[in-house]
Amino acid sequence: MSSPTFNSFRKNPLVVRLVVCLAGGVVLALMWGSQEGSTTDSAHAFTEAVLAPRIVGFLALGVLVWALISFWPRVRPYVVRPGAWPLVSGVVTVGAALFLMHWDDQVGNAKFSAVSSAVADTSGLAPLVTIYFGWLYWVGLLIVALLSAATIVTRRSLLGWIAAALSVVMGVLGLIAHSTLLDFTGGIDHSTGPFVALAGYVVIAAAAIAAGTSPEQVAQSRAFMAGLFGWRPGLPLVVVGALATIWALASATWFSPQNSNLTLSDTRTTFEGTGLSSLAVQYLAWLGWVSLAAAAVLTGAASYLRHRLLGWIGALVGAVGVVLTLITLYDISDLGAQNKFNSATGPWQNLGIGGWLACLGLFLIGSGGVIAAITPKSASGGATAEPIRSVLVPSRLRAAGDTLTQYRSLALAGAALVLFYPPMATLFWQKVLVIEVGVYVLLAIGLNVVVGWAGLLDLGFIAFFAIGSYTTAFLVGALPRKPPSWLHLSPLLAIPFAIIFCLIAGVLLGAPTLRLRGDYLAIVTLGFGEIIRIIAINNPGNFTNGPRGATNIPHPVIHLGPIHVTWGLDSLPYWYLLVVIIGIVLLLFYRLENSRLGRAWAAVREDEVAAQATGINATKVKLLAFAIGASTSGVAGVFFATQVGYINPDNFVLNNSILVLAYVVFGGMGSLPGAMAGAAVLTWLPEFLKDQVPSDDRVMWIGAIVLLMMILRPAGLIPAKRRKAELSGLQGTSSAETTAVPASEGL
Amino acid sequence: MSALPAASPAEVVFDVNHVTLRFGGVTSLNNVSLHMLRGEILAVIGPNGAGKTSLFNSLTGVYTPQEGSIMLAARPGDHPTSVIGQKTHKINHLGVARTFQNIRLFPALTALENVKIGVETRQKSGPISAMLGMPWQRREERDSTRAAYELLDQVGLAGRANELSASLAYGEQRRLEIARALGTNPGVILLDEPAAGTNPAEKRDLAELIKGINVELGISVLLIEHDMKLVMSIATRIVVLNFGEKIAEGTPAQIQRDPAVVAAYLGTSAEEASEQASHQPQVRLIDIDSHGSEEGDQL
Amino acid sequence: MSTWFHLLPEYLFEGLTRGSMYALIALGYTLVYGVLQLINFAHSEVFMSGAFGSFLVIHSITGNSAHPSAGVVALIIILGLLVGAVTGALIAWVLEQVAYRPLRRRGAPKLAFLISAIGASFFLSQLAGKLFGRLSNRGFPSYFNPNHLLFHIGTARIQLFPLIIIGSAIVMMIFLDRLVARTKLGRSVRAVAEDAPTAALMGIDIDRTISRTFMIGGALAGAAGFMFGTAFGFGNTMGFTPGIKAFAAAVLGGIGNIRGAMIGGLVLGVVESVVPALPAIGTSWTDVVAFVVLVLVLLVRPTGILGEKLGRAA
Repeated sequence: MSSPTFNSFRKNPLVVRLVVCLAGGVVLALMWGSQEGSTTDSAHAFTEAVLAPRIVGFLALGVLVWALISFWPRVRPYVVRPGAWPLVSGVVTVGAALFLMHWDDQVGNAKFSAVSSAVADTSGLAPLVTIYFGWLYWVGLLIVALLSAATIVTRRSLLGWIAAALSVVMGVLGLIAHSTLLDFTGGIDHSTGPFVALAGYVVIAAAAIAAGTSPEQVAQSRAFMAGLFGWRPGLPLVVVGALATIWALASATWFSPQNSNLTLSDTRTTFEGTGLSSLAVQYLAWLGWVSLAAAAVLTGAASYLRHRLLGWIGALVGAVGVVLTLITLYDISDLGAQNKFNSATGPWQNLGIGGWLACLGLFLIGSGGVIAAITPKSASGGATAEPIRSVLVPSRLRAAGDTLTQYRSLALAGAALVLFYPPMATLFWQKVLVIEVGVYVLLAIGLNVVVGWAGLLDLGFIAFFAIGSYTTAFLVGALPRKPPSWLHLSPLLAIPFAIIFCLIAGVLLGAPTLRLRGDYLAIVTLGFGEIIRIIAINNPGNFTNGPRGATNIPHPVIHLGPIHVTWGLDSLPYWYLLVVIIGIVLLLFYRLENSRLGRAWAAVREDEVAAQATGINATKVKLLAFAIGASTSGVAGVFFATQVGYINPDNFVLNNSILVLAYVVFGGMGSLPGAMAGAAVLTWLPEFLKDQVPSDDRVMWIGAIVLLMMILRPAGLIPAKRRKAELSGLQGTSSAETTAVPASEGL
Repeated sequence: MSALPAASPAEVVFDVNHVTLRFGGVTSLNNVSLHMLRGEILAVIGPNGAGKTSLFNSLTGVYTPQEGSIMLAARPGDHPTSVIGQKTHKINHLGVARTFQNIRLFPALTALENVKIGVETRQKSGPISAMLGMPWQRREERDSTRAAYELLDQVGLAGRANELSASLAYGEQRRLEIARALGTNPGVILLDEPAAGTNPAEKRDLAELIKGINVELGISVLLIEHDMKLVMSIATRIVVLNFGEKIAEGTPAQIQRDPAVVAAYLGTSAEEASEQASHQPQVRLIDIDSHGSEEGDQL
Repeated sequence: MSTWFHLLPEYLFEGLTRGSMYALIALGYTLVYGVLQLINFAHSEVFMSGAFGSFLVIHSITGNSAHPSAGVVALIIILGLLVGAVTGALIAWVLEQVAYRPLRRRGAPKLAFLISAIGASFFLSQLAGKLFGRLSNRGFPSYFNPNHLLFHIGTARIQLFPLIIIGSAIVMMIFLDRLVARTKLGRSVRAVAEDAPTAALMGIDIDRTISRTFMIGGALAGAAGFMFGTAFGFGNTMGFTPGIKAFAAAVLGGIGNIRGAMIGGLVLGVVESVVPALPAIGTSWTDVVAFVVLVLVLLVRPTGILGEKLGRAA
């Protein structure tokens, strides 16, 4: 029998929490690491994971979490001080750059530790390189972090300025050391470590400044961010864009045949006397710099003076700059291919990141001009106030316009990255972007309609993906049964057919089940997904070609009048095709969300009884969601089939349905940017961490993430405004009741 | 029971005939018959558990009575149609709107969006025209926004249009629900305890609003209410339910005198109440026009 | 076709064997649905955990193969059932505490519960895979011959372990029936299933009752896991297909109805055994049968064979 003291001990919330945290630590220990169970020794994985010294670290982590939760009220006042969170995130970013990112593709596994030890073993390097990679990288970080922390505690502005200056210096030093090292090792380099570290240091600098100069006691980070973007709309974009372009023109690699990294000026020298087009020659000589200057000055002025016409002009100049850069890149690489530099077979090869970075920068500058042009003058105040002070005093700037400016700026920056980052990435990452990230983003957008907007749990989403793929395979003649000759189509033309078939399938599946409870729908759709897969395997009527699936699906081609575009094995062109497809879908869905049907979905989801009483046909509305989601999945299936070139039933397993659901949930159920972000992050992360986390464990981690999300932050990363309160259960009433009247209404 | 006023069929909005509704072992409506005439404000009163909300739910297709018939002709010129077996949203399209006892708004949508939903159920443009941004869809969108604003204005909520409906005050939420119901362009509106939880000033405004809906918009009103003062001041006729049965029907004055009603509310038997009534001057249960007394109005 | 008729008794016996296991798992679904009105998607992993738990214990006793006497074999089987049940109950309890209770406290919408359960389900099955290997069809230690032929009924070959399966399932179902009908716990479960707020007003501890309901369902599923593992092999993904089929069985019998789950399980097992044996169909469609049944039930009679306990029309 338990004594009273034991019972009270058992029920004491602190004790319970400690036990739970320790248990969590143990579970984490079981999950983390590359130990794998074997069938011959059942205890093997367990022993290696738990009965080993490393368990101490996990238990310590559990205790730490417990302490944080239990003593949060005491810690909180420090954490909400201005600069605290930015400091932490800045340090974490720098840490991530040092541990996880690439610093020189030519050295070992390209990570910082490999570079560092290689540098230690090499003589004849510039002193900066040896010092930085030897000890400065961590000593500098430590000093900067400590100074910033001291600023947060003491709130002395001088300290803050010093810390900020040192921080920026550290970041720049890292960049210079990296580029000096590149001169030494040569070769085409795609490493981004130093840039990420620089970003981290900039954040730390901002944190230090904010900590030292803010008159407020508590940080208002959201208002700060909005204020920063709203103070001079567009200016942040212009600044970042200008910096990027300057870096690109000054020292980034533009052309790199035979492992020589040619900067802009080097490229000009190399091409002197060859038959390079005059436009390109002038660009390399001076036109590039002039476009940068012109665009930056115009947009900067437009932004500072809040002059709209100037903003449009600046945007135009920026756009022209982008075009000029692209033409130049084409000309250089085309000429290089004709001269067989590095066995190039055509244009767009052997290019370094310089040109693309310049495009990115000029695009950002142009975007800054656009923002300056479209933001009305009255949107934010403090136009004459001292810049930093006005940003740090949020109350003056809390206008809705500032948030809108912030969103627009972020959206344009995102567009810039989407357009111009992929050419700068390694081939490996380009492949990941196209096969994994892009396809799953499209799938997530589609599932978001069903799960996020209409609140229906569809677990068989991958079935429509399969229907789209098999439709494509059939129409191009890659399956045993051939279509009639007039129906033999090029892959992209399969899209409308895939949409129609998926619509039909969606309606057939949804009609009987949607009028019933939502939880039944989950299982029925799951079953449907499995049935489709089993049909594909069982190959009735020799239609689906069984487990072998369809091979030899041709790649897309477009022959429309003068336009001839073909896709081959190279990943990059598919990315741009995907961008177009996703862009169209986004436009359509954004309009849909704010239309009559979008509101009807919200109504049905929040209170089906009231919705029906107001005249909404709930079943029809749900069916529409189902069908629209299904056809989106079908389009993704078409893209997948024609890009990869072969499909088989293993592509359409249940796991993939669940993964898409996880992405939508993680990113934010019901929000378009959330679904995209969730898919992007969760497809990127496993590839990024593939050295740390075995790929077999990926589904396990994702399952844990989904579970934790639902417990802790059900609204997701980027919550949808309409769903945030509902998902956090802040309303008293249960919304999705299909019983007519709550018990309290009485008979 | 007093005699029903003679009415031509075209004048009858709801013709409820011998309706019985059972749940398992409980009979919540027992052989209930009543007429609702066009243009009137008909109040349904009775103690808790009398079956009032069940009646509403039967009229709107949420519950299906086991016996009896309900014929509906919501708007002038409508042919009477049977309600039983129809789906709720169809009944709404036939011209019946309702509010709920516990206020069922769409909490995460703004006040404007709540009313727009009501207005939009009458529109035609579908998802495809929305996605493609077709001009007629944009026009319908502008029209519904305008119509919704007007409705919000009529209930006095125009200033709160862009706030989340969950953040409105209680009385405002009630009015918003009415605005949403009006948006569906009904011929008859069913109000389930609209004055519950409101203070006397709000009750007066509510009474004005209901009368306005009835007289200016020409919408017949079916009202469940416990506040007798409110009922007596605006109802044209009253139906009294108790234990699932109709025990009285008539004008407010007739209901006041009806012994069965008194018995039901006061717990005495009908005979005793009738005796008491005949030996005493007319019992004034309610003082409709006295402005002084604010309490003790509820039975 | 005549072969089919001829072999029908065999198919029936096989169907009863499967059906018993489906019934045990279905009871877990139906119990949780009764008290919480939601589908415990992770129940299939509870089933799986019973198989793993009992395997670990039995393996440590017998190694990979041993030849104990008949009495010891019986003891081992009983031990397996017990350990499976205990493991299942434990995992079900953890599941309720971690994946459901926080959401219940918060009043989260149903969708949130379902998604949480899905996350938990995948996490558990993959964690088991990481810890114990991802081979999908491992065998239990062969300490006896489960297919030992006992006797014939017509053309049905009555083998040892299938008979044990049917027998123990019947015993457990009778036990559960008694538990729910006669004991205080059973009354609490029925009360909470009927009307939770009123039950709370009557002094019933809702949290504890729900917890215990999960554990009961988990115990049954865990025991079924042991039996399934011995008869058919086990692996970290073994729960998925039987889980869905058991859910179909629960719906077939009437979700929330305990006797319905038992009957539904048996009926589904028999149908699943008999129909694919028809020459026109073939066994590669076995897994599809359950879904077809589910869809048909939802179309024709959504409340199931025995109907649902409360008047909640679909």
